[in-house]
Amino acid sequence: MIRAFLLFTLIGLPLLPPCAAYGAPPAPNAPANPAVGGTLRVVTEASAGTLDPQIAYVAVTKVFETPVYDTLLTYPKFAGQDAQAVIANLAEAVPAPEDGGLTYRLTLRKGIRFSNGQPVTVADVAASFRRMFAVGSPTAGPYYSHIQGAQACLKDPAHCTLAGGIETDAQTRRITFHLSSPDPEFPERLAWIHSSILPASTPAHDMGNTPIPGTGPYLIAEYDPTTRLQLARNPYFEEWSHDAQPAGYTDHILVTFGLDREAQVSAVENGQADWMYENVPLDRLGEIGSRYAQQVHIYRLLLYYFAMLNVNEPPFNSLAARQALNYAVNRHAMVIYSGGPAVATPQCQLLPEGTPGYEPFCDYTLGASPDHPARNWQKPDMEQARALVRASGTAGAKVTIVVPAEGRSSNAAEELRGTLEALGYQASVHSISQVIHFTFVQNTDNKVQISIGGWNADYPSASSFLSTLFSCENFHPHSDNSPNMAGFCDPAIDRMMDDAARQALGDRSASNHLWAQVDRALMRQAPAVPLVQTRRVVLLSKRVRNVIVTLNDEILLSQLQVQ
Amino acid sequence: MLIPLLRRLGQTVFVLFGISALVFAVFFATPGADPTARIAGRNAAPQTLEKVRKEYGFDRPLPVQYAIMMKKLFITRDLASYADRGERVVPEIIHAAPVTLSLVCGAAIVWTVVSITMGVIAAALKGTWVDRGLMALGLVGISIPVFWLGQVTNLITQNRYHDTWLFSWVPGPGYIPFSEDPTGWFKALVIPWCVLAVMFIGIYSRVLRADLVALSGEDFMRTARAKGLSPTRILLRHGLRTAMITFVSLFGMDFAQLVGGGALLTEVVFGLPGVGRLTYQALSSMDLPLIMATVMYSAVFVVIASAVVDMLYLLLDPRVRDGSQK
Repeated sequence: MIRAFLLFTLIGLPLLPPCAAYGAPPAPNAPANPAVGGTLRVVTEASAGTLDPQIAYVAVTKVFETPVYDTLLTYPKFAGQDAQAVIANLAEAVPAPEDGGLTYRLTLRKGIRFSNGQPVTVADVAASFRRMFAVGSPTAGPYYSHIQGAQACLKDPAHCTLAGGIETDAQTRRITFHLSSPDPEFPERLAWIHSSILPASTPAHDMGNTPIPGTGPYLIAEYDPTTRLQLARNPYFEEWSHDAQPAGYTDHILVTFGLDREAQVSAVENGQADWMYENVPLDRLGEIGSRYAQQVHIYRLLLYYFAMLNVNEPPFNSLAARQALNYAVNRHAMVIYSGGPAVATPQCQLLPEGTPGYEPFCDYTLGASPDHPARNWQKPDMEQARALVRASGTAGAKVTIVVPAEGRSSNAAEELRGTLEALGYQASVHSISQVIHFTFVQNTDNKVQISIGGWNADYPSASSFLSTLFSCENFHPHSDNSPNMAGFCDPAIDRMMDDAARQALGDRSASNHLWAQVDRALMRQAPAVPLVQTRRVVLLSKRVRNVIVTLNDEILLSQLQVQ
Repeated sequence: MLIPLLRRLGQTVFVLFGISALVFAVFFATPGADPTARIAGRNAAPQTLEKVRKEYGFDRPLPVQYAIMMKKLFITRDLASYADRGERVVPEIIHAAPVTLSLVCGAAIVWTVVSITMGVIAAALKGTWVDRGLMALGLVGISIPVFWLGQVTNLITQNRYHDTWLFSWVPGPGYIPFSEDPTGWFKALVIPWCVLAVMFIGIYSRVLRADLVALSGEDFMRTARAKGLSPTRILLRHGLRTAMITFVSLFGMDFAQLVGGGALLTEVVFGLPGVGRLTYQALSSMDLPLIMATVMYSAVFVVIASAVVDMLYLLLDPRVRDGSQK
């Protein structure tokens, strides 16, 4: 969950048409196509940290590494309804699951080279998967532990062989994965950036600030984590699939780190930068809306904000208390605090709109109930909420809301505090540093009753929201790495999740429908109060063209043109 | 001479040890600050957490962890960030230091020249409207928070009036190295210099004026007047030289504190990748190695500056010299 908590990150829905086809890379000098060439200047607040694509787990790094590194499969680099399922990238085709999902066979494309000129072989593929365990990739456990031999690799990363888990044949360029148990999302895992294919000779440690050769249209030419990152053309790149890894337009991409959002807005307005990576700050929305509307791009993210309720701590160990708060919260106010209806919509359920399995419903709004849900949120039902609080016998309880110290969450927390007070609780707000908030609220030892946060997924899937946040498997008491912050564990709902995941091996639409049932079952238990789903507001300079927003990679860096 | 030098060195080591131990202890006493889960990544497998814990030495006793950190900071100089895996903090500070030095040196020139001019004029015209006006101006300078002034300056020069003849020369926020483009370096820094200097101009001009006025009643000033020296000569030669003792003392500590990262707000507002911004970044991300490195760097400068100020006293005030000889 790539810096998912409280960060605007990876996923956006297509609002703009796909770009015109653009095939081979341009000649190094005097581009015939006026859209080709030039330098794209990007500004962003924070440095990206390690460049190692098998370790880096922050959204900003992923955006800059998408046109540098490739995986066997990939998330589509185009917009539209067909852009949900993964497509072939370094592999020739998306494999069909065999042996009930225990075997996946792929064939490596011919003729692809790394940016150092070395050809990509099946040995590089096998070595890359072994390296993922050796370097301690964050997702090695959650995403790749189904591969045979992975458990041994997790226990002893230095001697990882993945014996029996990955077979290769250099002659046929065949790669075969054997899983120890079926993983319905294995193709999605093969598209996830931590399984980037790197040269087999890459050292088995975090490469930090030293770039590793990749296969994409760009290579990392220069990097200083506190000041700048520069991408230049990969001289060995030849477009093998426009949908999977399109050739880039600009010759260079220069990223400058360290400007706050206010300065970023000014820099783009003045034409000193072409793209501010972060969202436009709320106080500048009016200005850019009135003077720079043509340069603004708004797109939906699979990101929503919620109040997580700890089902193991009073008063929220009472179902009635949890449902009461869901009825009482004024989501319209939450929308206002998020920037208004243009950039946020009220959220009633645990799957955000756009996720596979999303079916709209609202259990907790005026005139609705879990048995008779409305389609959308209307307004709070305070009468029903107060009745539930009375029934729960929790009135008068002390409730502390733990919130990261930043504007949006603080406003939401104050609104929530008011709601809790109106329901008869003694509520207070406890702000802690945004950096440690996530690990703090995960730890059961801290006995957090209610916390405010946000969540999005590494890739669009219902399980990334529902299983990760609410399954028994992801509740680890006394650990600060327990994403199931509510401490919710219902074996019956877990079984529903397993069924929904298994269905994906054969029938995706049936699987999606089952995930919608899980969403409903969870909301009936109300382990969280969904608040708002937000949109991304991005400002680009006047000279930028060809903005393509994809489901997984947001704005495609390689496809931006400058004039 | 050797003994005071050794004493000063001993003080430095003691100060550095005290600060480092305190920073280290505070970090580990902060709830939720254990960096293991953050380094390993969201929902990482328990085995991955264990690997990180061992790799970073978090499984060892705190005094051992402290000793390892100090060794990596001062001896092997390969201390790596907890927030940005792969980032070595010592080279980061070495890269950042010239930016901070450029900012602080320029600002120091501005505030020294302007505050001496303002202080001397105010003292010379004591009680007049010029005196009152200058001192009121100084007070305004002290009262304006530097981050507010910086943001407003940015808003005016980068946003509202950027396209006018007045500010079209202003480059975007950020630093341009002197070696790459001296003119660009000057243009990028001139506004931050002035913004950073404003508060110090207010303080220094008021202190200088007060000292000059107080000194005018001293015996040596009366003697100078009795000898028939011109008022300008008395003020500049006798008064200003003595008044500079307080000025230099203040300057030494302020300059050191700024070079050590105290210009943080100015660097953040103007996007200058200096030590202050590194400190800000370290604090924002609860990155202990970076916090430790920037704090140590700052402490070294403050201790050195206090030594330099003590030496300057000897040059400026004969009484200190005489006292030391006795």
